[in-house]
Amino acid sequence: MTNRSPERQPVPFHQSRQAREAEVMLDHIVDDFLENPAGMSYFYDLFRKVYIRGESLERQGPQVGITCIQAPEELIYAHGASPVRLCNGSYHYDQIGADFMPAKSCSLVKATLGMLCSENAIPKLGKLDLIVNPTTCDQKKKSSAMMEGMGHVVHDLEFPNVKESEASRVYWQRSVRQFSERLRALTGEKLTKPKLRAAMAKTARAQAAFRKMNGFRKSSPSVFLGKDAFLVTNAYFFDDIERWTAALEVLNLELAEREKAAFNAAQKKAPRIVFTGSPPIFPNLKLPLLIEQAGGVVVADETCSANRMLYDMTAVDEWLLNDMVDSLADKYLKPCTCPIFTRNDDRLRRLLELASTFKADGVVYQSFAGCQVYEMEQRSVSDALNKAGIPMLYIETDYSPDDMGQLSTRIEAFLESIKTRKRQQRT
Amino acid sequence: MSYFAGIDIGSTAIKVALVDAEGKIKGVHVADSGSLFHKNAKEALRVLLEKSGVDRSEVKYLIATGYGRKLFKEADDSISEITANAIGAHETGKAYGGVRTIINIGGQDSKAIQIDDAGCVTNFVMNDKCAAGTGRFLDVAARNMDIDLEELGDYHFNGKGAPLSINSTCTVFAESEIIGLLANGHGKEEIVAGIHYSIAKRTVRLAKRVGIEDRVYFDGGPALNKGLVAAIQDELQRELVVPEYPQTTTAYGAAVLARSEYLADLKDGL
Repeated sequence: MTNRSPERQPVPFHQSRQAREAEVMLDHIVDDFLENPAGMSYFYDLFRKVYIRGESLERQGPQVGITCIQAPEELIYAHGASPVRLCNGSYHYDQIGADFMPAKSCSLVKATLGMLCSENAIPKLGKLDLIVNPTTCDQKKKSSAMMEGMGHVVHDLEFPNVKESEASRVYWQRSVRQFSERLRALTGEKLTKPKLRAAMAKTARAQAAFRKMNGFRKSSPSVFLGKDAFLVTNAYFFDDIERWTAALEVLNLELAEREKAAFNAAQKKAPRIVFTGSPPIFPNLKLPLLIEQAGGVVVADETCSANRMLYDMTAVDEWLLNDMVDSLADKYLKPCTCPIFTRNDDRLRRLLELASTFKADGVVYQSFAGCQVYEMEQRSVSDALNKAGIPMLYIETDYSPDDMGQLSTRIEAFLESIKTRKRQQRT
Repeated sequence: MSYFAGIDIGSTAIKVALVDAEGKIKGVHVADSGSLFHKNAKEALRVLLEKSGVDRSEVKYLIATGYGRKLFKEADDSISEITANAIGAHETGKAYGGVRTIINIGGQDSKAIQIDDAGCVTNFVMNDKCAAGTGRFLDVAARNMDIDLEELGDYHFNGKGAPLSINSTCTVFAESEIIGLLANGHGKEEIVAGIHYSIAKRTVRLAKRVGIEDRVYFDGGPALNKGLVAAIQDELQRELVVPEYPQTTTAYGAAVLARSEYLADLKDGL
């Protein structure tokens, strides 16, 4: 008889499935492309450290997990805590989540819950002091109870379904104040004007750096690739905000140099693509990576893991505490183009604007299977874009690697059709 | 003499097409993909050259397409099967007065492509992930009923009763449904017709997503099956254009493209 091991040894983190999955993706991101910006090394290293070696990052104060960009981070900082975004892109955690989630639920929600009930969370979190769950979509709403069932403390941040009406604006402002109360109960720190002002300034500096980076994506030839932009914004989920901003500012200097030198990060005729829909979250950068491996460049995006997350700043007109909180609440409501809102003309307007500002040749629309709002909007978005002469490719997918062969064919065909069309326009 | 070749390395079959300097078809050849894609592809090319009496050195440009396109290092270039299919159908369709919509059913996938007057792809859709309604589905069904793939067309037209309905949209579930129908004593003819209508329904739904315009071209291996062609025509309420060699349209498209790439290179002095 063979010797059966009496006790299963825990697998070291770097050999775990989630770490290997991240490693494969990171290797593609780094090795499949030439001349990565030197400033990206900070981010490549950060992902190695957090996702592959499972190291923890230093954080200040209590840790507040957030499940959606709709949670006002400035308030969390102002109360002396640190936010960490829990949205997860790992197929391994998606499979764990699939054990207790409906088969037709979205990969993002499945993976997030799968991670929260696993031993090794990424980033290594330890015990979360609070999870704030904005009630944005039905699947996230319903997951509050499951997270509580896992022993987490959850605060439902009530979010309206409409953003135009004054009633929902007032309702949301009240939700945000209630959230502030909850944070005060957690940290014991009262919200004050200087603290909120400092938190806003900190976030605004990060946003300014993001906007600058995003601005470089307008230039043609492209000075840097979309896969790196997604990695930078994904790092914002969990990195220390000041370290992140400083690293991005360094990268921006390099990108400015590249722009001056008319550096080209892709082939001369590479089709320029706007990416929209369900968010690419590391390590599920499958689709953006396939686009760029096939010779396209993702020049802009309209997703909650990048552009929508960092684009708009708080506009305060009265520096009194209550007005500041209200303006903060407004920032998280008014400019948001998420399809959960009913009446969602803003998203169309935003997409057309992005396509023209970033001189895009086409749009790739990703929808995670089970994410109904994106699925439902797909047709109207496609019609509007086509009317404007911009072709769109709609792709329904999830975190599994099964469909990569088929997806690469579809993406290549899409890029080829863009190239032919451009060739015809020239001759 | 100069010749140009297109090789379509699909999941089930490898198709090779050869065109001459004028772009006319010199020969086509179909072989099984087997498990050794690369080796079988090279062999298929060799056989076609031999059949056509063409020396390898006379092939000036070769374009690979299909799932195995990236493995075929002998090619000068590769292109997705959607673009190659569109070019091939556009060229072939000219003889029928021009086509604008293409329905292609392959071994593992089905696609609908819309092209403009110049033969450029304006829109396309492909089945997501699963093999329902593809050649594979026909293959499995025929095997369940102990029928040769080539005989499916005859069975379709020999039915005495109405086609039975096959409701499962999944190949595996449809298989058990077929076995159930057989066990209940239904005739193979009616089951075969039912299978064809079930594939036709899926395919037409897919085609409607790209928008059906003008003449519809139907190609891919399953287009050899007359029963399936009739069922799709019924569902579409339109005549289909089925070319003489439906299986090799994509390889032909790649060969046509190989020729124009070569001519463009010549013009650029490359």
